[in-house]
Amino acid sequence: MSIELDQVTKRYQGVPVVNDVSISVAEGEFLVLLGPSGSGKSTLLRAIAGLTEINRGRVSLHGRDVTHVNAREREVGFVFQHYALFRHMTIGENIEFALRVRHAKAAERRARRQELLRLVALEGMDDRLPAQLSGGQQQRIAVARALAHRPKVLLMDEPFGALDAKIREELRRTIRQIQRELGISTILVTHDQEEAFALADRIGVMHQGRLLECGKPDDLYTRPATRFVSTFLGAANLLLGYRSKDGIRFAPPANPAPADAPPVYEIVTVLRPEEVEMASERKELKATFVGHARVEEVLFGGAVERLRVRMQDRGTVASAVKGAAAASEDGTLIEVTRTLPEKRQLPVTPGQRVALGARRIHVLPTPVSSFSVVAATEEDCARIAAAPLLQALSTRMVTRVNHRVEPTIGEPPTGKAARALAPPGVAAVESGPGGAARVEWLLRHGASQVLCLDPERPVPTRVVIHAASDAALRPTMAVASSLLRNLPVEAAFLDIQSPALPAEGRATQLRHLLDARSEAAAVHGLDVRTELRFGDSATELSRELAAEDIALLIVGLPLAPTDAWQKLLPIAKLLDARGGDPVLIVRAAT
Amino acid sequence: MSRFRQPSILPGFGLTLGFTTFFLSAIVLIPLAALIIKGSSPSLAELKEILLDPRAIASYRLSFGAALLAAVVNAIFGFIVAWTLVRYEFPGRRLVDALIDLPFALPTAVSGIALTAVFAPNGWLGLKLASFGVQVAYTWIGVVVALILIGLPFVVRSVQPALVEVQRDLEDAAETLGASPWQIFRRIILPAVLPAVLTGFTLAFARGIGEYGSVVFISGNLPMKTEITPLLIVIKLEQFEYQAAAALGLAMLVMSFIMLFAINLVQAWGRRRHVAAGR
Repeated sequence: MSIELDQVTKRYQGVPVVNDVSISVAEGEFLVLLGPSGSGKSTLLRAIAGLTEINRGRVSLHGRDVTHVNAREREVGFVFQHYALFRHMTIGENIEFALRVRHAKAAERRARRQELLRLVALEGMDDRLPAQLSGGQQQRIAVARALAHRPKVLLMDEPFGALDAKIREELRRTIRQIQRELGISTILVTHDQEEAFALADRIGVMHQGRLLECGKPDDLYTRPATRFVSTFLGAANLLLGYRSKDGIRFAPPANPAPADAPPVYEIVTVLRPEEVEMASERKELKATFVGHARVEEVLFGGAVERLRVRMQDRGTVASAVKGAAAASEDGTLIEVTRTLPEKRQLPVTPGQRVALGARRIHVLPTPVSSFSVVAATEEDCARIAAAPLLQALSTRMVTRVNHRVEPTIGEPPTGKAARALAPPGVAAVESGPGGAARVEWLLRHGASQVLCLDPERPVPTRVVIHAASDAALRPTMAVASSLLRNLPVEAAFLDIQSPALPAEGRATQLRHLLDARSEAAAVHGLDVRTELRFGDSATELSRELAAEDIALLIVGLPLAPTDAWQKLLPIAKLLDARGGDPVLIVRAAT
Repeated sequence: MSRFRQPSILPGFGLTLGFTTFFLSAIVLIPLAALIIKGSSPSLAELKEILLDPRAIASYRLSFGAALLAAVVNAIFGFIVAWTLVRYEFPGRRLVDALIDLPFALPTAVSGIALTAVFAPNGWLGLKLASFGVQVAYTWIGVVVALILIGLPFVVRSVQPALVEVQRDLEDAAETLGASPWQIFRRIILPAVLPAVLTGFTLAFARGIGEYGSVVFISGNLPMKTEITPLLIVIKLEQFEYQAAAALGLAMLVMSFIMLFAINLVQAWGRRRHVAAGR
């Protein structure tokens, strides 16, 4: 590996701007770090170059740990957005700078200069001053200068940001060509997805300081794992769907469910605008029917036609997710793009009613589809739904918060048959007196993730993850990584071992701990810090949460439907406490 | 004249040029001409006697020497002050920034009296220095100290904007290219701010040559030792030797002009070198 980052964290005034980022770049690979402004991508790049100190983690270049080596000795080439050419030096002097500070001989400097100028196709410019060159030419000189000392790694920070579209495209090609020719490992930072697609062998998408996903461009586009990546790379409609053994439906299941109905899971699906099929009638659709919609807006965009349609019949499709405005009471706004042949077959005008089909649907591998606030009255529901943590999560995950009024919540089982449908997504209840009983009621009614929180408390500044058994590890990590991608705070996985365990047992436990980390990294693309404690879980957890700040505890419990209460006992105190830290319980099937 | 006319958003080339000529004549050229006429009215032998008087020569040496030394000190320390103010964020930075201008605003006599009070053999700094055997007040060192105080703002205010212009990117770039901190300073920062430092130096030097108010109190005005040329001129005036005063003034004018002109030439040469390198 030519560039290796291991859990790199950088904080500014206590806030992590780069949060546990691990990444490996192979020899000669071109990696593009893509993200909106403020996502931490430039800071990460500067950290690799040694221009910014990191608070935690490790940076290796070609197997050499350079975490504490300064930029001068890292042997990297860095290209800046605004060229950063030395204005009082000629082009030739600029290019020779790296060799001059190394006291190279004049003949060697001149030879290298000619070679580099030829590489960037600017021969004969040696004696000009930077100010006499165009922006595109200046950036080429900057690239040549960065390569002068034959670095093994090339880092570029938005190198095309200050250039106009045509030159940008040309320079993009030049840089790709040079990179191939030299076979130099390269990381380029940009916010432009088109640029990322054009250049990258692999794209890493950053958001709120975390590296969300990293993969080949077409894999990321067709099979994104997160909401953010699916909407940031190209356009996407995020729809809630319902999966049962019969397949995926977009209509919510009936409540209460018939006794013989198969279990239904709520899922998040990605429907790309170009995968939407439009027909005048449902029976004319070739693809799977999604719902009926009314055309709201038609825009001609050259090679494609862009439409916005609103799905009205909430009976069939109620569950759209893309933004609060899109999912209003009037229905769900869906973006559609059609090719011109498609447009010729069915010309539409605003106001027209059409049937929508989905040619291809991608299901996001996230267990957190939506939130359902459960309380005894509608007022309580509204109060809990306004909790800062729920608001923050639902906004960032562009999902909705359902209200579910259950007058009997928290009461012991009566033995009556009528099985209420499990609330979709993460069920949320209020903590405080009776909190544990409410959680238990929800778990008994089939909820698999329960968030118990005090609606008055602000958003947590820290996340603690713990799995009570090995079986609980996998689902806990899945939920945690899904949530962490949307919370810009630091997280730690806590493993608690009994001090009575014999030495061999400890070794096994340690392996499980390492497994947990690699599992999180491999399956969910999320890197978390791991900590090992010895003692009793309840005591250790309360100690961890005793600090003044607000921590979200994500705890995985192996629960059979019958023994819910018993298994809750270690954390029951946390659930019953008023004003305590929020707790998210992840149920693991036993 | 229309040959020189350039299209401009501001109209009235004739009017503005006329105004400039008039202004320069009335305020600068006419008084200077009067000085030249008055100063050169004595016969050559008389002139030689006035200008080459040992007392006058000692005063030239002090005036120009002290001004030069003070300007050099200011160029170095003024750069450091400007660097601190531009590059670091610290509590009270704005206050320090405002303090820099104080020598501009203060009547020079006030600074002179204040300096004398502090550096006099019984003043609290003078007392401490006296124990090391160093006397500041009433020696040439006192003159230099006064001129440093007067000249500092010129250097700081010239260098500050130039330093702001040196982007952090440039230093970062140099660092990734393998330059050591000293090489970054020497090859990147210094060339970028050197013209500004030179400008500040020239201004401080020019001001130092002509400074009167702050120096007369701290220098002690011993003929041949701590007497500056402007003071000598005042003494001549008080003795009603107007021609001698004018002659001394003319001598200062000529010497100052030569020196400033030389510095300007150096600056122009530096600029041309960059442009020439570009062709």
